[in-house]
Amino acid sequence: MRRAGGAHRGLDMWLIQRASAAYMALFIPLFSALAWRATPLDYIAWRGLFAPLPMKLGMLLFVTCLLVHGWIGLREILIDYVHALVLRLTSYFFFWTVYAACLVWTVDILWSVG
Amino acid sequence: MEKSSTEAVYTGHRHQASSQIPVKSPRPFFLNLLAIRLPVGAVASILHRGSGALLALFTPALVYGLMLSLRSAQDFQSLAEWVGSGFGKLVMLACVWALAHHFLAGLRHLGFDLGWGEDRRTSRMTAWLSMGLAVTITGLVALWSLA
Repeated sequence: MRRAGGAHRGLDMWLIQRASAAYMALFIPLFSALAWRATPLDYIAWRGLFAPLPMKLGMLLFVTCLLVHGWIGLREILIDYVHALVLRLTSYFFFWTVYAACLVWTVDILWSVG
Repeated sequence: MEKSSTEAVYTGHRHQASSQIPVKSPRPFFLNLLAIRLPVGAVASILHRGSGALLALFTPALVYGLMLSLRSAQDFQSLAEWVGSGFGKLVMLACVWALAHHFLAGLRHLGFDLGWGEDRRTSRMTAWLSMGLAVTITGLVALWSLA
């Protein structure tokens, strides 16, 4: 049986980390190019960038990848350095809460753009 | 003696640690941080972790910035002013470095996964390259933001 807060979830984490990295590596240049094309980026132009549905979905997927990738990375760091189980699980809970909130928050932000 | 103990320390590198077979003979215990000479790949790896941690901790602030930038023209303006301020520039430059390094060193790791650049010479070269390019990009952005 897996120990609570243990490290032995290697392969799925490894794969998700690579897949999210690949998506972000493609999205960042693409988004930068679109933003560059919309210069000068005043408020109206910046908001306009987020109006189309494909951009909302692409950006939401990007933020999801960012949060998942960040979580897996932080988890690895916590496994390496935080050995007290209570402290480690508390850290897990803290980052899970913050990151889950960030995800819902991002949906709210993106879909508030008309 | 000195050299072999340094190498013994390096075999503890985290990417290899899990697959390590227990060694029968007692290994030299040598953890004088000032005397250990890290290979360039180890330095790139540590910076990859450090920049990753920085970006992960900065992510909620990024979402907050996204909200401000899209909420109203006034908030967009005040965010732009903050980014243009001295402290804002410093934070942004730290993020630019962290992102550039993490991105480039990450591409290097994806290459390793595909079996590309694993030999000693190439991996040393790409380690230097990722670190050098990240610093160069940060320097260029710094110059551009001052201009």
